[in-house]
Amino acid sequence: MLRIEALHAHYGLSHVLQGVSLEVHPGEVVGLFGRNGVGKTTVMKSVAGWVTPSSGSVKFGGVELGGKPSDVICRMGIGFVPEDRRIFPGFTTEENLKLGFLQCPGRTWAEDRLALERAYQRFPRLKERRRQMGVTLSGGEQQMLAMARVLVGAPKLILIDEPTEGLAPMIVEEIFNTIDALRRDGVPILLVEQKVFRALDVCDRFYALERGQVIARGDASKTDDREALRQAIAV
Amino acid sequence: MGALVDYIQFVLVPQVFNGLTIGVAVILIALGLTIIFGLLDVFNMAHGEFYALGAYLGVTLAGRGVSFWLLLLLVPLLLVPVGILVDRALIQRVFHRKERHMLTMLLTFGLAGVMEDVFKAIYGANIIKPATPLTGGIDFLGNYFPTYRVFLLAVGALTIAGVWLVVNKTSFGAMVRAAAFDRQMAASLGVPVRRVYSATFAFGVALAALAGVLLAPLYSVFPTMGKDFILLAFTAVIVGGFGSVRGVVLGGLLLTQIQSLASLYVSPVWGDPIVFGIMVLVLFVRPQGIFGGKLGHA
Repeated sequence: MLRIEALHAHYGLSHVLQGVSLEVHPGEVVGLFGRNGVGKTTVMKSVAGWVTPSSGSVKFGGVELGGKPSDVICRMGIGFVPEDRRIFPGFTTEENLKLGFLQCPGRTWAEDRLALERAYQRFPRLKERRRQMGVTLSGGEQQMLAMARVLVGAPKLILIDEPTEGLAPMIVEEIFNTIDALRRDGVPILLVEQKVFRALDVCDRFYALERGQVIARGDASKTDDREALRQAIAV
Repeated sequence: MGALVDYIQFVLVPQVFNGLTIGVAVILIALGLTIIFGLLDVFNMAHGEFYALGAYLGVTLAGRGVSFWLLLLLVPLLLVPVGILVDRALIQRVFHRKERHMLTMLLTFGLAGVMEDVFKAIYGANIIKPATPLTGGIDFLGNYFPTYRVFLLAVGALTIAGVWLVVNKTSFGAMVRAAAFDRQMAASLGVPVRRVYSATFAFGVALAALAGVLLAPLYSVFPTMGKDFILLAFTAVIVGGFGSVRGVVLGGLLLTQIQSLASLYVSPVWGDPIVFGIMVLVLFVRPQGIFGGKLGHA
């Protein structure tokens, strides 16, 4: 459903992505690993429309995304949970969540309500804090809010960038459990994560990046592939 | 004791009431200014001229027999496409440049000059004084309040409440505030950012035009009329806090009351220096304004 082919991207003079190709199939959680600065986030941003690729192709459901603005990409069904969560100040938790509805103007009030209730079932802590300002939540809660905000819009694919960065171990577990639950619900995810071997447990497949290129790929459940990944990214 | 009551009734109350009318006038103009600044980060130097455009459009349409009450709706609506056009043709063109602040300021400043000259070319430099739509006055506890000024206060209060509701309680307002804070994230949640920008600019321009129609019967219509209130409006925005609806309302009321009471207790010539002195002081002590922040804290 997501097909990236020979993707190149530049930040000024630096050639960040040098021909990345990867795919995410329906119902699949795909991990994207590698050291800092190898271009993982740039891949995500290229799909979400935050970065315009210099060449190559990003197709979603057969439609080319390159050059499309982020709001159009969002309405095509791609949800993006960026690295730093990006919770809006001045909005309560619930108001932040409701921003996730904006892309679905055709939906009825009852459908919106149901989506909200589902999000609260998945993240009961957000319900407790729904009247609290979003930016006053703890880091873990903000991460849940950022994920829930995308989920209420019923995306067909979710990009999640480093969801557990800087969180306490208990919260990290909770976030991984949530991703695992999403996988069981059949929501396709492209996941960037530093905690590689914990992340592999919730992934179906993986890619490893080094200097803007894919240097390893494989099946998350195969011991050989995991070993190849370990060597590729030297962790 | 009687002297004190008389003093309050015949000196203080009329002065406060007069200050209140000017306050509402300033707020109506400053609202659009602060919304445009809060979202687009653009100082609209032509805002006063859009206020004048609203007034001139009102005069022209009134000359064709359109009733004043209809103008209050019609003129702001007519200015919406104008606002969208200006945003698309001028603001968006330079919006992504590094020197955006300077370029948008210069562009709107140039636009202001062109508009002023066009007013002069079409209507001449003379002062046009539209008839007051509501004549007479209201006696209240022995004081006389002109009906139109009372009406202006009521419409002003309703407009302020309306703007607050639009910004804080509607999904359009949520999109505007979200885009003001974080354009990229808002877009990735489906906010059509470009269209929201245009709509916001047009909304601010329409508010200026409404102010133009409302204030024309009191302050008359002439090519440089935009300059009269814009300075006070900018001051209200700076003192109240950029991008804050609450700030602009409180800033506008505070400054015009200070101005009006200063001219009573100090001297009429000291009204402006004191007001602008406060602005300079605020810029030194609290540059983000008393209620500063972006639109989210509206």
